[in-house]
Amino acid sequence: MRHKRIYLAWLVLHFLIIVAISCREVVWLVAHRLTALPPSWSYLAQKVEPITARALGQTLASSNPLRRAFLTYCHLAGTERGYGYFAPNVPDSFRLGFGVDYADGRSEYTLPAVNSRAAGLRVASLLDEIGRTPHPALREYVVKTIAGTIWREHPDAVKVRAVFGVTKLPSIVEFEQGKQEDFEFLYGYDFSRREAAAPLPQP
Amino acid sequence: MLRVGLGIQTIFYAVSLQYDWNYLFARTGHELVGPELPEALLSTQSPLVPRLGWLTAVGIRIGLSESIVLSIAWWLLVIAGAALVAGVFSRASAVVAWLVHLSAAKSAGFLCYGVDNFMTIGFFYLVFAPLPDRWSVDQRWQKARPQDRQLLGFWRRVLQLHLCVIYFFTGLTKASGTGWWDGSNLWRALIRPPFTGIAIALLELSYPFFIWGRRTRAIWLAGICTMHVAIGLAMGMYLFALVMVVLNLAAFAPNGFVWKICASPGANREQPETCREVEAH
Repeated sequence: MRHKRIYLAWLVLHFLIIVAISCREVVWLVAHRLTALPPSWSYLAQKVEPITARALGQTLASSNPLRRAFLTYCHLAGTERGYGYFAPNVPDSFRLGFGVDYADGRSEYTLPAVNSRAAGLRVASLLDEIGRTPHPALREYVVKTIAGTIWREHPDAVKVRAVFGVTKLPSIVEFEQGKQEDFEFLYGYDFSRREAAAPLPQP
Repeated sequence: MLRVGLGIQTIFYAVSLQYDWNYLFARTGHELVGPELPEALLSTQSPLVPRLGWLTAVGIRIGLSESIVLSIAWWLLVIAGAALVAGVFSRASAVVAWLVHLSAAKSAGFLCYGVDNFMTIGFFYLVFAPLPDRWSVDQRWQKARPQDRQLLGFWRRVLQLHLCVIYFFTGLTKASGTGWWDGSNLWRALIRPPFTGIAIALLELSYPFFIWGRRTRAIWLAGICTMHVAIGLAMGMYLFALVMVVLNLAAFAPNGFVWKICASPGANREQPETCREVEAH
């Protein structure tokens, strides 16, 4: 009987966490007007958002033991994030390319390469993170780290130029008018040999 | 089903990353991004979540290089996966697979996607579920009493409920986007398969309601598994497709299968355990 109660209590708590995290994601999407819902809903969601954040302990200090225990459990159980895959809309594809310049004036274009399709999906996920992050410093750090791999593959290069952008797919009407997918430039970074040799900033 | 399915998933996961393992997880200057930043970010959330950095630190302390430690981690995954498939040292294998995969996923950080999340969920339930099960080699070796069916039913019910929450919220967030209603996502589906419009959102949104009914379960289970297989084939997300099919079959397929056996007129009445399994759920 006692065991049953323990299991039941855990079950309730576990699903409260899962539902709360999922609800928080939905509320966040509505509050940031990323859904088809009318603006009045966004206004309401903006009011609800701090409540959901508080309920999940996100307003507590990062060193708070309760918050740490909660996050540890979520990471161990795989419940630390919601389930809005490909939602609310199918995302655009981010692209990262590198222009490599040599001392003799030659230039070539290259992409980060991996050996398998499974790893390729992970690189695509990384590019999504770079594209979505609101922190420019984090974006630059990650691009710089990837540029390091390009340096190693092209040791005689003098300059590496990173170009980060997004592939925009045409709408039905645009496609009928003959428009193809478009690459939209978002960020660019230039790395010289000296810069690449410098130690990377500590996170 | 969950044990065998996750075992196969673990082997495929390890094998698919075999040639990129060090490139993704090493910190020797030859890596793509390296685990330093993800592990540092993870530490701000919780210092207790396992990561490959811990293994590396222990390995270096006893004189092993990082690449050897990473190779050991990779082999641990393969061996634990194979042991799970066979049902040898089931509990220990489940714990090892869970912790090593979790460590890799957390150290990879930005290189993770849905498959890691769902593998963690599956392992978490497997680790605490009653093991060894009656089909495992452990059961034959140890000749242990069959596990408590009520407890087995409880953990299956937890997985079933979790899947319902997952599909409901996935469907809900999809349905809230304009692109799934005005046809633009259907159009994008034609350019970038496998998204097939609102049907996917409705299938996911209705999953928690129709997966429980005897008459609708098979249809929804087949529909959702077909959707994942299509995603796997069209986008090359084989691992993601496999883990979702495994979780769905582990949660719902055995019941449906057993129901069929019990309900058929010619069913062997000498199968009380199988039928009691249905009642337990």
